[in-house]
Amino acid sequence: MSKPVTIAVLVTGPAYGSQDALSAYHYAKSAIELGHTIQRVFFYNDGVLNGSTLTSPAADEFDLYQAWLMLAREHKFDLDICSGAALRRGVIDQREADKAGKVNFNLELPFQLTGLGQLAESIVTADRVIQF
Amino acid sequence: MLRAAFITRQVPHGSSLARETQDAILATSALTEDLSVFFIGDGVYQLVSKQKPQGIACRDFAPTFGLFELYDIENVYVCVDSLIERGMDDIELIIDAERLSQSEINQCIRQHAIILNF
Repeated sequence: MSKPVTIAVLVTGPAYGSQDALSAYHYAKSAIELGHTIQRVFFYNDGVLNGSTLTSPAADEFDLYQAWLMLAREHKFDLDICSGAALRRGVIDQREADKAGKVNFNLELPFQLTGLGQLAESIVTADRVIQF
Repeated sequence: MLRAAFITRQVPHGSSLARETQDAILATSALTEDLSVFFIGDGVYQLVSKQKPQGIACRDFAPTFGLFELYDIENVYVCVDSLIERGMDDIELIIDAERLSQSEINQCIRQHAIILNF
């Protein structure tokens, strides 16, 4: 068993459509089982789509949104969605929706809009930054 | 070991990756000077001067590379082999990137603890 490390996971693919996010989730879950700590999961590029509450998988298919929710709540790490990347892709929380004059929003806690500063912080402080 | 390597391999406007990588680099430079940027493959196209992407409704983020010097982002490298492959080895690039061969770039990347690839 190797020394426990802090890991930041960078996700650049959507919840469905490519395997990136799924691999990232299984990696995070396995790392936790091995005793490592997830510092945060940072969603960038198309990865911001993981934060959408409107994602609706088929009843017999894997619900990655719920999986992220449960893993983050149980192990207390942040699900950081890059704000600029998210708004441009139609992922928006209530506050930004009100500012933009949008009727609807599709991002809620524990997913939260943040700046790239959180990614920068992980790059500087985490033992590992693993990109999917 | 050096800290963070950002590898950027995409054309400037075919996807948002190149522009978003630039944003990530600038954000990281606010917290550390220990970072390097590598333009390889089609990423070298980002450094072509006199781009006019407004014509295709894209943001001209090329001028923002000018902030690299202001933010003390000094370790900026471009792959000579990629430039030659694309017939670009004799054109003026928009920033002062050190020209390295592909194998030199490989060696340099390996010296970094964190490698991000866009």
